[in-house]
Amino acid sequence: MSPQRSANRTPGAASLPADRVRRLLAEGILGIRELAPGLGLIAVILFFSLQTAHFWSPQTMTAISSIASTIGIVAVGVTMLMISGEFDLSVGQNFAFTPIIWALLFVTNGINEWLALIVALMLSCCVGIINGFVTTLFGIPSFITTLGMFFVLEGLNNLLISGHQLIMFDPSAAMSLLGARITDTPFYMPVVWLFVIAGIFWFVLSHLRYGNWTLATGGRAGPAKAMGVPTARVKRTNFVLSAFLAGLSGCMQFAYIRGVTQAQGQNYELLAITAAVLGGTSLFGGTGTIWGSVIGAFLLATIEIGLVLIGVPGSFYVTFIGVILVIVVIANVRLGRFGSSQA
Amino acid sequence: MSTGPGAVAGSAHDGEPVFELRGISHRYGRNQVIFDVSMAVWPGEVVALVGDNGAGKSTLLKIFAGYQRPTSGILRFMGREVSFATPADARGIGIEAVYQDLAIVDQMSLWRNFFLGKEMVRRFGPLHVLERRRMREAAGNALAQLGLTRIRSVEEPVWTLSGGERQSVAITRAIHFGARLLLLDEPTAALSVRETRNVIASIERAREHKLGVLYIDHNMSHVLPVADRIVLLELGRVVRTIDRGEVGLVELQDLIARRDNRADG
Repeated sequence: MSPQRSANRTPGAASLPADRVRRLLAEGILGIRELAPGLGLIAVILFFSLQTAHFWSPQTMTAISSIASTIGIVAVGVTMLMISGEFDLSVGQNFAFTPIIWALLFVTNGINEWLALIVALMLSCCVGIINGFVTTLFGIPSFITTLGMFFVLEGLNNLLISGHQLIMFDPSAAMSLLGARITDTPFYMPVVWLFVIAGIFWFVLSHLRYGNWTLATGGRAGPAKAMGVPTARVKRTNFVLSAFLAGLSGCMQFAYIRGVTQAQGQNYELLAITAAVLGGTSLFGGTGTIWGSVIGAFLLATIEIGLVLIGVPGSFYVTFIGVILVIVVIANVRLGRFGSSQA
Repeated sequence: MSTGPGAVAGSAHDGEPVFELRGISHRYGRNQVIFDVSMAVWPGEVVALVGDNGAGKSTLLKIFAGYQRPTSGILRFMGREVSFATPADARGIGIEAVYQDLAIVDQMSLWRNFFLGKEMVRRFGPLHVLERRRMREAAGNALAQLGLTRIRSVEEPVWTLSGGERQSVAITRAIHFGARLLLLDEPTAALSVRETRNVIASIERAREHKLGVLYIDHNMSHVLPVADRIVLLELGRVVRTIDRGEVGLVELQDLIARRDNRADG
């Protein structure tokens, strides 16, 4: 994915006062990248609170937080990968593949659930390793590599589960850890894991050398490489992170609803990218924040449930999201947040 | 002073040059672009490479930077023979190439750019935790010394800076990390007058810090005030070496134009 660099920006243009003020405004006021999507989320919540009395019910809280956390955990990995300049379209299928493996091993074949979980997560990492090596060694767009992986996993999922649903009636210890209800609240474990994982990766991105390298790799691989950043290794690592978190999130979904079908995670690859973009992550790499993507995931979940609550047909949700996504990207480019940052 | 091809241009200096080319020739396939060039850059010396398009300036710069291995000839760094497999090898011994468009990651803040690839970290097992405050302070001090007054905060992303400021940041970074030789490819191209002055000021700072500086420029009025020596290339050969003050601007322009005309004719 090579950023489209605008050629019309002449060096020295920044010294024009108006231009400079505009840039500083864009950076200084909207510079807290989470602010714009945060305000969007508040607006959406206010809107639905006023539209329906059911919005603040425990059922709604459960539904929104569960959807937001499974998308959000996938989006955290996807965000790391997008910041380093690559996409992963296979996360949705991985989101089903990993829990299918886990369930097949311990529900169907009676293998120790922890061992089964570790094996399943290792397989999800293998998916990321393959994505990363194919992309960086052959220099092809990750869009294609991971689209291929999408189909490979879809086929495998169909083969493994052959139209059935794998169900676990008695929650086990591992499943409780990943998906149990938090006592006396409408919330389930995945939302706790979302905040733990987001916190970890916020720290990775902003406080570790690896985060610095991820930003540089997606910002401009040429100079980053010249400065000694191992850009290919950084990308490969982020492919593994993205695949691992998709698999882990899929296992949480399985633990939470105690069942998995091959349809689990449908559209998640695109929803995760949408959450990241709504949260301010650049489609061209180099910029983005973890908390922004978490807010993006809550935005998606709130809109999905909110629309159902006010009686809009459920299928309208994706239409609505599609429109919002395009508007947000236009707004971002117009405000010069990642449009001119490519100059 | 005029030297023919083969002689080491600028051999009037004392001590070891930072970097020296001896009898360098280079061909791309069957097309020879550099013919037996010998030249050197001494510490604290600014050398300008001038010549018409196709004279071989860029190829020579790439050989200095390790992007291109010469077909034949010897490279000597601080008196020792070297050869570079990659630009990273050249960078590793202190040869820093600063390209106007390639030195810096625009989206990252100044301090992150300044320390990119050389981050100050504290290690906790496998984790390399950035020492953010130390890096901010060090980057801020280094840039303040340079006099980049328009830079308000090291938190500013680099895309808020102009082309000249970016190069000044890259040059400051090279000085800070102890580079010995600075390579610049048309550092003043497309810059405003004030911007050009800033870049020239940072080149002079590099000279004060005893770095050797080699740069390509087309604008003779930018070259003349800052260059200690001008190496004139024509069709892959060094045809003349001019010391500071030896010729004036008009004379220099005439010299290049006359040579160009002759080459064209």
